[in-house]
Amino acid sequence: MVTRPPAGRSVQGRRRRSRNGSADGSRFFYPALLAPAVVLGLFVIGYPLYLIIDASIRDVGLPNMAALNSAPVTGANFTALGSDPLFRQALWVSLLYTLGGTLPAFLLGLGTALLLNRRFPLRRIFRTLTLLPWAVPSVVCSFLFLWIVNASYGVLNYLLLRAHLITQYVPWLASLRWSIVGVIIPTVWKSYPFFTLLILAALQVIPVELYEAAKVDGARAWATFRRITWPGIQNAAYLALVLQLLWTFREFEIIYPITAGGPANTTQTLAIYLYNEVFQFFHMGYASALGVVTVVICVAIVVAMFPLLRRTLWRS
Amino acid sequence: MSAGVSASTGRVAARRDAAAGTARRFHRSRVARRGYGWLLIAILTTIVLLFPLYWMAVTSVTPITDLLTLHPPIVPALSHLELSNYSATFRTYPVLSWLANSALITVGTVALSLVVSVPAGYALSRMGAGGATSAGLLMLVTRVIPGTLLLIPFFVMFSTLHLLNTLQGLVLADTTIIVPFAAWLLKGFFDSVPRELEQAALVDGCSQWTAFVRVVVPLASPGIGATAIYAVILGWSDYLFSKTLLIDPTHWTITVGAASLISDLTVNWSGLMAMGVISVVPMIIAFVVLEPFLVSGMAAGSVVG
Repeated sequence: MVTRPPAGRSVQGRRRRSRNGSADGSRFFYPALLAPAVVLGLFVIGYPLYLIIDASIRDVGLPNMAALNSAPVTGANFTALGSDPLFRQALWVSLLYTLGGTLPAFLLGLGTALLLNRRFPLRRIFRTLTLLPWAVPSVVCSFLFLWIVNASYGVLNYLLLRAHLITQYVPWLASLRWSIVGVIIPTVWKSYPFFTLLILAALQVIPVELYEAAKVDGARAWATFRRITWPGIQNAAYLALVLQLLWTFREFEIIYPITAGGPANTTQTLAIYLYNEVFQFFHMGYASALGVVTVVICVAIVVAMFPLLRRTLWRS
Repeated sequence: MSAGVSASTGRVAARRDAAAGTARRFHRSRVARRGYGWLLIAILTTIVLLFPLYWMAVTSVTPITDLLTLHPPIVPALSHLELSNYSATFRTYPVLSWLANSALITVGTVALSLVVSVPAGYALSRMGAGGATSAGLLMLVTRVIPGTLLLIPFFVMFSTLHLLNTLQGLVLADTTIIVPFAAWLLKGFFDSVPRELEQAALVDGCSQWTAFVRVVVPLASPGIGATAIYAVILGWSDYLFSKTLLIDPTHWTITVGAASLISDLTVNWSGLMAMGVISVVPMIIAFVVLEPFLVSGMAAGSVVG
């Protein structure tokens, strides 16, 4: 039997519990396993965050980013937010886009998950097909729907007209009123499989006996859903909801390639506004302030949903 | 929890019949018990949900003149279809380079992500309460930062490290985005592997590392598979970082290349759709092959049980 003395400790008691709970002596094992991930995280998330916060409190443009430390410190970027109508508009657009993109996707995901949980022939094939939009790159979604919602020849307009839901073609992405819907549609299409996946996984863990017992007791569909199904999936549903809300709030790749925030900033979410401020106007300081605001709002979303998430996230 | 009275069989049966909709009555018949009703609903749902992909494929092989009308052919006649858009796209743009770049980056990202996240997830799982909190926090922290915010810092850091315009640099960038979520996901899977197993291995004389690799990892393979698929999708789909960190058109990934065509091919919708199909087909094939592992992985780990 091979005995390996734990690093840096005495030989006795090979099974002594070490401080971080590892069964074996070496208390460097787990931290060592964790180290690469932590290094990556600090290096590539921590440092950029620091850089952004630093830039947001300075008066700095893209050309003089290299001299960041010598740029004057000022709170002007944040006070400018208060008087910026584009900022207020971006907040509103972000709200519409995030809720409009996430809630329908949630309902669609829930519906498809419930459907896929039923037994029927070829169910596996349909499961793969239903999840397929998730595999499509966001950029491809964006120009695919650019074509589908095209004002003159788009198939969406054609089908809606044929179904008598509209009386004339809608210029989805050119209209000030409907452009936000024009970008919400691809977002919902791309997002719903995430809900389907997580909710379906949770549905399949619910014991069949519960449903059988409910049927024997004469429970109707809604009561069954409320008492058996929902409690079983609510952890998954809340987690998926928070993750998708955060994802949609930050989403860039679906909107930018086709509208770049237009027309007239009606699809300019906070994320797009940030991008434009950096790459179109080179206002690094102001863009960083916008970035800080975005992070704060995301954190607020997490904090607001915290009680619902505790059980899922903080399992030990 | 009982929702109603269940005294006698007669009353239960009567109640069940009374509450029954068509679906319930269906259950009596043999045909419906096989679930054909649900199959029909599934077919209709899938037709609606996948129509955009269908339309992209159909449009890419339909002559543009047939499409610029008020009556686009939803189901076109096969004789009208042509593949000229594909040959034109491959001729005009370095599509094969783009596809190769995407493939290399994806493979690299999956490999690096797994190498970093699997041990990390295991450590988080075994580190007790502290691990649970840090895993959750770490995962969420990366979800609150908008990608656009990372662009300039990444650009600055990568150019200092001479990783700009390289595939390795992009692999690194994609990996750092994936690792926190992957580590958290894997922690959940490792939680379901009992500690007694590696303790038994230790008693038998394995080192901690050997116990980890030989005993624990194989048991968590559904979870590792699910994480790998997640990394594949993210690695292939990335546009933001690829666009910022890759400068030469020959180094572009397929997503950046495809997006560059949006302004080039403003009226040539068929050509643009052909590019879309080229970008998507490898991912669809990969997904069709790997998806069963994804779902069984998610269910097996009872990630959100």
